[in-house]
Amino acid sequence: MSWGAFALAAVVLVLLLRLLAPNAFWYVFTPAFRAADALAAGSHAVLSRFADTAALALQNEQLMRENAALASENLALAEKVSSIEGLGSGTAGIVAGVVARPPASPYDILVLSKGSAEDVALGMEAFGEGGVPLGIVSSVLENFSRVTPFSAPNATVEGWVGRAHTPVTLLGVGGGAMRASIAHAAGVLVGDTVFVPGPGLLPIGRVVRVDSDSSLPTVTLHIQLALNLFSIRWVELRATGPAFVDALPWATTMPL
Amino acid sequence: MMRGILTFSTLASVIFFPWPLTVLLAFASVPFEPLVPLAAGLFADTLYYTPSAGGLPVFTLCGAAMTIAAFFVRSRLVAGSIG
Repeated sequence: MSWGAFALAAVVLVLLLRLLAPNAFWYVFTPAFRAADALAAGSHAVLSRFADTAALALQNEQLMRENAALASENLALAEKVSSIEGLGSGTAGIVAGVVARPPASPYDILVLSKGSAEDVALGMEAFGEGGVPLGIVSSVLENFSRVTPFSAPNATVEGWVGRAHTPVTLLGVGGGAMRASIAHAAGVLVGDTVFVPGPGLLPIGRVVRVDSDSSLPTVTLHIQLALNLFSIRWVELRATGPAFVDALPWATTMPL
Repeated sequence: MMRGILTFSTLASVIFFPWPLTVLLAFASVPFEPLVPLAAGLFADTLYYTPSAGGLPVFTLCGAAMTIAAFFVRSRLVAGSIG
């Protein structure tokens, strides 16, 4: 038996385990994902010893992440102040660790280490650091769940952009990026904040590029999430109401 | 032994490294073990495939295509060497 045939047989057994006992499957593979996280953190630390520039880059990355989270939190608070409905609607959520994330997970999903045993339910909204909305819980097992980010390929969500809060349909393109088309006249600029519904308007990211063609009446907005999906270690899950989930046709019930 | 290490590395990279490295390792192993790309693709989809996101299990399909191509090339090479 060749190594390839042996590998294929082993993978088929793993597939059967996933199909027949998905909860046990994630229990088996969670330590492997944790080891992968530790390896990534360790290799980052080792590489940073070789040069000061690497240490500075790491520090810069952390500061940028914290800055993005604080800016997002600040915007969310400002929106809450300006919206009476937003005040007092905050509820305690469920904090869940992230087992698998992009880019290791090529379909842009987040696998979380909490499930129905910890009151995680389908349709709950996932928030990252600073209350940045990330996605929707799209499937739940007893001890694990999966979040499909708003930026997943072909995922759509209604939102708003800019200071005028112009309504726009956001389309996920993967890798923590989104795209949208909007009229020239809306006057959206690079750096404008993009919001999605939650308790009030929640900032999800910023416009990083605007593609315009004088022959077309619309411009294409390229949007980057406020948080880097590749480095998310935990999320907070909160129920934001059935109306919001019903408006997301891609957030369907699927086996994990 | 080298084939075994390459096979194991390809499957391990599905968990430990970003997917482009897995694709690279699958390409490296296909001349020696044509079934490895299919196994790696199936393993990646077993771990990460989400029906709601893309529709098709892309990695399994790409792995299968690479395996079929490898077997086809092998059969032509064998026929060529006999002739």
